[in-house]
Amino acid sequence: MSRWALVLALCAVTLAGCSSPKEPEKTGETGTNASSGATGGQPEKRYVIGMSQCNLGEPWRVQMNKDIEEAVKQHPNIEMIFRDAQNRSEMQQSQVREFIQQKVDLIIISPKEARPLTRPVEEAMQAGIPVIVLDRKIESDNYTQFIGADNVKIGREAGKYLVKVLGGKGDVVELKGLMTSTPGQERHKGFMEGIAGSQIKIIFDADCQWLEPNAQREMKSALSRFPKIDAVYAHNDPSAHGAYMAARQEGKGREKQIKFIGIDALPHEGVRYVKDGVLSATFEYPTGGKEAIENALKILKGERVEKSITLGTKLYTKENVEAGGETL
Amino acid sequence: MQSGRREGEEPQDSSRRLIRAIHWINNYRGFVALAAVFILGCLYTPRARDTGLPIFLSGRTQLDILYEYSEYGLLATGMTLVILSGGIDLSVSSVLGLCATLFALLTIGYGWSIPAAILAVMLAGLAAGACNGVLIAKLRLQPFVATLAMMTAARGVAKLISGGIKVQPAAQPWYALKDDTPGFFVWMTQSLPGVGVQPSTVLFLVCILAMAVVVRRSGYGRRLYAIGGNEEAARLAGIPVAQTKIVTYALCAMFAALAGVINACRQDIGDPEAGFGFELDAIAAVVIGGTSLVGGRGGMMLTLVGVLIVAYINKILSLNAVPIAPRMIIQAAIIVAAVLIQQRKRG
Repeated sequence: MSRWALVLALCAVTLAGCSSPKEPEKTGETGTNASSGATGGQPEKRYVIGMSQCNLGEPWRVQMNKDIEEAVKQHPNIEMIFRDAQNRSEMQQSQVREFIQQKVDLIIISPKEARPLTRPVEEAMQAGIPVIVLDRKIESDNYTQFIGADNVKIGREAGKYLVKVLGGKGDVVELKGLMTSTPGQERHKGFMEGIAGSQIKIIFDADCQWLEPNAQREMKSALSRFPKIDAVYAHNDPSAHGAYMAARQEGKGREKQIKFIGIDALPHEGVRYVKDGVLSATFEYPTGGKEAIENALKILKGERVEKSITLGTKLYTKENVEAGGETL
Repeated sequence: MQSGRREGEEPQDSSRRLIRAIHWINNYRGFVALAAVFILGCLYTPRARDTGLPIFLSGRTQLDILYEYSEYGLLATGMTLVILSGGIDLSVSSVLGLCATLFALLTIGYGWSIPAAILAVMLAGLAAGACNGVLIAKLRLQPFVATLAMMTAARGVAKLISGGIKVQPAAQPWYALKDDTPGFFVWMTQSLPGVGVQPSTVLFLVCILAMAVVVRRSGYGRRLYAIGGNEEAARLAGIPVAQTKIVTYALCAMFAALAGVINACRQDIGDPEAGFGFELDAIAAVVIGGTSLVGGRGGMMLTLVGVLIVAYINKILSLNAVPIAPRMIIQAAIIVAAVLIQQRKRG
C-alpha cells in the first residue's frame, strides 16, 4: 500500500513533467540563438515577442492569434510566445511579469480589463520592453502603441446599410451584446447614429450577452410578438445566426424575408453565413493581428510608430463575399 | 500506519530499513511531491535572454508564486476547516467577489478608511458564512445545497451593490475617489522594501499558520476533527455540533472575505464577477494536500503543501507556455492521482 502511494505520487509529478518539456527547449534555444546571432553578426537579428491573449475561449481572439501567426510566417527571425490568460486578469498580470523576467524583445497584449493590466504594462515599459496594446486600452498612455477597431463606426455603417437596403423605413429587432461592455454600448450607439433621420424603428431589443442561445430565445419572443419584422441587427454574427435559426424554426418561412445582419465577420462564422445566404451582411471587426506584427518589426528596428492606430472595417454581402468584401 | 512492527516476524535489517524509508516517504509524501515538483521546475525552466539565468529559480519568481496563490491559499485555508468538519463550501468564490466589490465600493465609492473597510468586509464575510452555518447546522440543509444557494445569492448581492458595473475610480459620478485607487491597493501588491515579499503573501501565510496552530492545539480544532470523523458520536459525546459548524462556515467565509480584499487590490478594481470558479481550485488544493473530503482526516499544513504544489505546477506550466488544452488535462490527472493516493492510505 505504501509502495502504491509512492508510485502514484511520482506518477502525478512525472505527468506534469511529460507534457511540459517541448516548449522550454524551444525557448531555451531561442535564448542561445539570439546570443549567437548577436556575436556572429548575422544580418537579421532574432527577436522574441511575447503575446498575452486575454481569453482564447472566444473565436474572435483565436482568429487574432491566427492572424499574428500568419504574419509571423513571413519573418523567420521572429519567435512568438503565446499565452492564454483564460479570462483572468490576475493570470494576465503574471504573464506580463514573466515576459519581463524572460526579457522578451517586445510584448503584445490584448488586455481583459484596463485597470488591472495598467501597472504590469507600465512595469514592462520601465524595463525597456516596448508594448503594443491590442483591441482594449489600458488606463494610462504609458505604452508604445495601441491598435484597435472603431465599434461606433462599425455600428454606424451597419445602420447606414440597413437604411439603404430597407429603403429608409422598416421595423428592426436589435439583439445586443453584453451591454455592460463597451463594445456592446458602442455598437448600439453607432447604429443609432447610422439610422438617425430615417424611418427605421427598433421594435424589440434584448441584451443577449453575445451568446447564440440567448439570441435565439429572444428572437423567438420577438417573432411571436410582431407579425412584421423587416430586419435583425445583431451585435455579433453568432447572435444573428441564432435569430435566423429562430425564424426558421418558426416554420412560416419568415427567415427568407427578414434581413439578418451581424458584426465580426470571422472566416468560419460571419463570412460563411453570408456565403450560405443566412446573413444578408456582416461587418468585419478586425483583429489587428497582422498590423501588430508589422508595427512590432518597425518598433524593434528603432523606427518611430504612431501612438494609436484605428483599424477600418469591411462589409461582406452575398455580392462581394467571393471578392473578399468591400472596405469601408 | 503502524504495520510491520510486530513481534516474532522481524524482517531482515536491510528490508526493514527500506520499509522504514517507504513509511517515512509515505508520511511526508506531500513534501516529497513538492520537492519533486520543485526539481521539475528547475529542470524545465526557461532562461532570461540576456543573463541566461534560470527564471524559475530567481527570487522574484519564487515570491511571485506565493503571491499569485495568496487568494487561492486563503480560500483553501477556510475550505480546509469546512472539509475537516465533513462539509463543503461552494460559496467561497462568490463571497470573494462580493467582498472584493464591497471593499472597493467602501474605499473608492464612499471614501471609507482602509481599516474600517477591512473590518466591514470581514463582518460581511462572517455574516455570509454564519448564514451558511445556520442553514446547514440548524435547518439541516446539505452543505452542498446551502452553499450552492449562497454562491448564487452572494454573486447577486455583489452585482446589486455595484449596480452591475466594475467598481473603479470615477465609475459613478458620486464616487469619492475620481483619479486613483487608495495607496493601500498598490502597497498590498508590491514587494515590501528590503524584505521582497508582498503584504498579500504575508496575510495568507499568517492566516494559514495561525489556523494550523488553532486546528492542532485548540479545543475548537479537536471538536472539528471529532465532528468530521463521526458526527453522531461527537453529538453523543456532548460536543456542540451546531455551534462548531456555524463557527467553521463563518471562519471559512471570513477568509474568503480577506481573499476578496487581496483580489480588489490585485485587480485594482472591485469586480462583481471576481473569483468565478475559484472554489474548485481551493477544493483541489485541499485535496491534493491530502485532506480527505470525507472529513476528520487531514490538516492545515497539508493544505499549505497542496497550495504550494498547485502553485508550482501552474507556474512551471505557465513559464513554459504550455497551451491550455494539455494544461487542463495535466491538472485533472494530478487531482485524480492525489485522490487515489488518499484512498490507498485509507484502505
